Amino acid sequence: MTKFLPALSVLFAVVATAVPWGLPADATFILPLVVVMMVFCWGAIPGAALHPAAAVGLGLLADIMSGGPLGYWALMCLIAATVGGRTGSLGEGHNLVKHWLIWSALAVMLGGFGWLLASLYYFRWIDWWPIALGAVASIALFPVVLYGLLWIRYGRLGPARGTIFRGAS
Amino acid sequence: MRERGSPLFRRHRPSWRAPVELLSFGLYFLCAVLLVLSRIGHGVIGDARDGLVDFSAPLLEVASLPAIQARRAMDRVQLYLAAFDEVDRLKKENDELKQWEWRTKLLERKVAHLRSLLNAVEEPALVYATGQVIADARGPFVRSALINIGRQDGLRIGYTVINGDGLVGRTVDAGKSVARVLLLNDLNSRIPVLVGPAGVRGLASGDNSAELQLDFVPEGAALYPGDEVYTSGSDGVLPRGLRVGVVAGQPGAYKVRPYAELNSLDAVSVLFFDTPALTRADSPSPVDDARALSAAPVEPSNTTTASAALPVAAVVPTPGGQAQAER
Repeated sequence: MTKFLPALSVLFAVVATAVPWGLPADATFILPLVVVMMVFCWGAIPGAALHPAAAVGLGLLADIMSGGPLGYWALMCLIAATVGGRTGSLGEGHNLVKHWLIWSALAVMLGGFGWLLASLYYFRWIDWWPIALGAVASIALFPVVLYGLLWIRYGRLGPARGTIFRGAS
Repeated sequence: MRERGSPLFRRHRPSWRAPVELLSFGLYFLCAVLLVLSRIGHGVIGDARDGLVDFSAPLLEVASLPAIQARRAMDRVQLYLAAFDEVDRLKKENDELKQWEWRTKLLERKVAHLRSLLNAVEEPALVYATGQVIADARGPFVRSALINIGRQDGLRIGYTVINGDGLVGRTVDAGKSVARVLLLNDLNSRIPVLVGPAGVRGLASGDNSAELQLDFVPEGAALYPGDEVYTSGSDGVLPRGLRVGVVAGQPGAYKVRPYAELNSLDAVSVLFFDTPALTRADSPSPVDDARALSAAPVEPSNTTTASAALPVAAVVPTPGGQAQAER
C-alpha cells in the first residue's frame, strides 16, 4: 500500500481539481499546479518518488478531466517528476528551505513555459495573470503540501519534524 | 541533530533509476505527440477522451457531491444573513412586477390579436432537460463544465445550455451519460448577439476572463452600459432571444457581463434545439430521434417544454416542470 501512496494521493488531488468548487476565473490555475507540486514533493520524500510514467498517466487524467489539450498537464507533471527525482530527498543534505527554493524556481519556469505553450497552442497570447497567480499560490502553499505528504507517508513526524523545518545539515 | 537511524533520513534511491532516462525521453516525446494530435483535433483523441470521461463520470459525480452541498450551505447562510435586505428588495421588485404584469397582459392580447389578423404560424416549443454540473475545467485553456446529461438522454453536440439566469454555453462533447459544456467566457466561444432596444448586432467573444468582449459592433452604434444583450440566432445554432448579459465597460472597449454566474454553476438545462447546421455536424442517432426535437417535438419522460416565443429570457421553466426534468 505504501508503494502506491504517492500515486493515490496525486490521483485524489487530480479528482479534486475537477470538482466544481466555485473558484473565481483567475484562480483556475492554482489547483492543477498543486497537483504538479505534489509530484515534485514526492521526489523530496525519501523512498517515495513518483515514477515518471505514473506522473504522465496522472497528468493525462488531469488533461482529460479539464477538457484541455491532451499532454499539457502530463508534460508539466513529467518535468516536475524529473526535477523532483534529481533534486535529492530530505535528509540528504537538503531541507525544506532548499526544496522550497527549487520549487519556487521550477514554478516560475513552469508558469512561463506553460504560458508560452498555451499561447502557441492557441496562436494567441493567453492571459498571463491566472498562471502567475497559480505559480505564486503554489510557492506559498509548498510547506503545507510537503508537510501534508510527509504526514501521509509517515504519520506523526515526531522529532524529525524539527529537523525538516529548521534544516537537515 | 539529525537522527541517522530514522527511516525518514535513510538514503533511498528509486529502483527504476537505470532505465528512467530512456523512458523519460519517450514520455516527453509522447506528450509532444499528444499535444500535436490534440491541436489538430484527431478523431481518435476525441473518441478516447469521450470514453474516458464517460468512464470517470460516476467517480466525479460522487466526488463533487460534498463540494456542491457545501456551496449550497454557504449560499443558504449568506441568504439568511441578508434576509431582511432581501425581503425589502423583493417587495420593491414585486411592486414593479405587478405593473409589468398588467402591461404584459395588455400586450399579450394585442399580439394575439395581430397574430390572428396576420394568420401567423405558431412557433415550436423548445424541449429541455435539466441536469447537474459534476466537474469544472481548470487551466489556462478551457472554461468548460461536465454535466450529467448525455446521448442517452437525447443530447447532441452543439445544443444550447442555460440556467435560471441566462445563457451558459453550448455542448461541445457528448458521451453516453455526460457532456462537456463550453462556457460563454471560454477562449473559443463566439456568440452572435443583439444589443439594447435597437437590437444592434455584435459578437460576444470569450477570453477566459469573467466578462466577454463585444466585437464587430457597427461604427457609431449607440450602446450604453446596462443595455440588455441577447442571442441573435444568426449563427443558425442558438435560438434567438436568450438572455446573455448586460453591456459593461467604456465606449470603444465594451464588454458583456454575463447574467449566469459561470464560476459557480449548479443546475443547468440543455435546450434540444435542432438546426440544419447541428444535424450536419452531429447527425442524430436512432436514440436521438425518439427524444431530440425541434419542429415536431416529442416530449420524453425526463424533458420539459418551454416557450421560445418571448424576445428576451425566452426559456423560463415552471417550478413543477423543473422538478420533473431534474435528474
